[in-house]
Amino acid sequence: MKWTGLILGLIGFTLPLIITFPGLSLAGHFAMSIFLLAAVFWMFETVPIYSTSILVIFFQVILLSAEGFIDYSSIDYTPLPFTQFIATLADPIIILFLGGFVLADASVKYDFDKSMTRLLLRPFGSRPKFIILGLMLVTAVLSAFMSNTATTAMMITVILPIVARMEPGDPARVGIALSIPFAANIGGIATPIGTPPNAVVIAALNQQGVQVAFSSWMLYALPLAIVMLFIAWQVLLRLYPPAVENVTLDLSGKLKKSRNAIILYVTFGLTVLLWVTEGLHGIRSSIVALMPVAVLTLTSAFEKQDIRKLPWEVLWLIAGGIALGISMKETGLAEWMVGAISWDQFGYLMLLTVFGAVALIMSNFLSNTVTASLLIPLAISLVTSGLLEGVAGMLMLGLVIALGSSFAMVLPISTPPNAIAVSTGMVQTKDMISSGLIIGLIGLVLILVLSVVYWPFII
Amino acid sequence: MEKKIYILVVEDEPEVLDSIVRDITEFEALFPVEMADTAEEARELIRSIIDEGNEIGLILCDHVLPGDNGVELLVEMQNNEDTHHTRKVLITGQAGLQETVRAVNDADLKHYIAKPWEKKKLVSIVRELLTDYVLDFESQPLRYMQVLDGERIADHIRTSGKLTDS
Repeated sequence: MKWTGLILGLIGFTLPLIITFPGLSLAGHFAMSIFLLAAVFWMFETVPIYSTSILVIFFQVILLSAEGFIDYSSIDYTPLPFTQFIATLADPIIILFLGGFVLADASVKYDFDKSMTRLLLRPFGSRPKFIILGLMLVTAVLSAFMSNTATTAMMITVILPIVARMEPGDPARVGIALSIPFAANIGGIATPIGTPPNAVVIAALNQQGVQVAFSSWMLYALPLAIVMLFIAWQVLLRLYPPAVENVTLDLSGKLKKSRNAIILYVTFGLTVLLWVTEGLHGIRSSIVALMPVAVLTLTSAFEKQDIRKLPWEVLWLIAGGIALGISMKETGLAEWMVGAISWDQFGYLMLLTVFGAVALIMSNFLSNTVTASLLIPLAISLVTSGLLEGVAGMLMLGLVIALGSSFAMVLPISTPPNAIAVSTGMVQTKDMISSGLIIGLIGLVLILVLSVVYWPFII
Repeated sequence: MEKKIYILVVEDEPEVLDSIVRDITEFEALFPVEMADTAEEARELIRSIIDEGNEIGLILCDHVLPGDNGVELLVEMQNNEDTHHTRKVLITGQAGLQETVRAVNDADLKHYIAKPWEKKKLVSIVRELLTDYVLDFESQPLRYMQVLDGERIADHIRTSGKLTDS
């Protein structure tokens, strides 16, 4: 696999250098080299996906920037300054994620995620049906603000003792084990910082001058997340009906009350409050995101070793995705690729369906962020080239791609939360395939329904 | 080929050796078990396991053996960098205080199991020690979750950031 990927990637990179595609600029050819290399490396995981992202930015600087090795002075293309490509690392959405990461890691440090879970699970009683609902709601709420992976890992520590007390043959064991990754994947769509594909899509929209406020994203995606959670719950209950009437939950444990922990609680609450009310006060979420970073480091609640432990590679991954979009658009590559298909044969809804379905299928096998990074530049140029209508069209296409890639939960490799659930040994891959497929397809249909009956009226 | 983490059992009485191995079969799918009845044979096994690029995660060792005794073997392993991190357990009825102290001080003995042992106890010790080992030295602890302490591995993933959203 690794060698195949390496060879295919190098072929992909060389192809545009030796073949001249009519209608594509010189810069477009270089951009295509980078695109093909990145696409193959991302798909085959020849190197870790974040290092492919770093490679993208590196090649852009040397091949496409004004300060790079290629002299564009004699042709009709004005190269971007190299700072444009490296600035993707400080894109507002990256700063927003940085703030989210700091809050999430600080929560783990002070066990805030665990305390919240115990508190939030209390009202759900002891009937398995409602416990599963409770687990799913809590998972979704946490994963809307923290990483889906860390949330899943934490919830697995909660469910393992529950499952251990159940009869070995109880189907609900499978249901519970599946409910966590599914809820984490679904919860990730609810806010811009829920999961990285959202970031790639929002950044691409920003570059087109379409600002997506934190609260607006929630307005678009939260209702879908809620409905999908209930559907996933029902699907799992039908497929894996609990055999017993009562399940005991151990919710003992204390909220930490140290000075630093309290600083974290207050900062967390205030930040989230400011994020979800962005529509009211207008302070951008990326600016708000600096507040927890500043407060938690100033008070030493978040220290040097904590900063080092942040998932920096995820920020590189997102930045590479954003950068790829910039070069594809600036060099005319995206438009050229889109132009190769006669899209006017497609209806508008058909177009959304195609992108949603492709996103769903691709991200079952690829990283969700990679899927969004590869699809969003094409979608954006469809709109800018006049094939789709304006801001609303662009926004909806972006939402379809982001949400579609988050609904991919068929295989253990589809998302890290799925991988964790299967690793527990409570779930077989075949269980994940059947229930994941049902939920993914319902999700896709609901996305398309929203794009007809809901989004056009609130955008 | 991915590297494998071995469990080594050293015991000279065949029935006892069998019964230890039988008690820990649930780990065998992920942690191959190798058996030796003398310290000498154990050394050879260790060498061949290490030479193949694999590791020894845990040794369950009797003390009284023909030839070199168990504590000597453990101390030797402790001083060898290839087996320094191997979790070391004595499973014996006849190690005196002095030798046991030596195993604790010089071989970083993790546990002393007195014969006869309870299966449940043995399994739980093996599980905890292998979990320690995997969390310390494995970059992908997830694949061992099923047979080891799942709660600890999940919590490690939560706090270590070894696995992130992609």
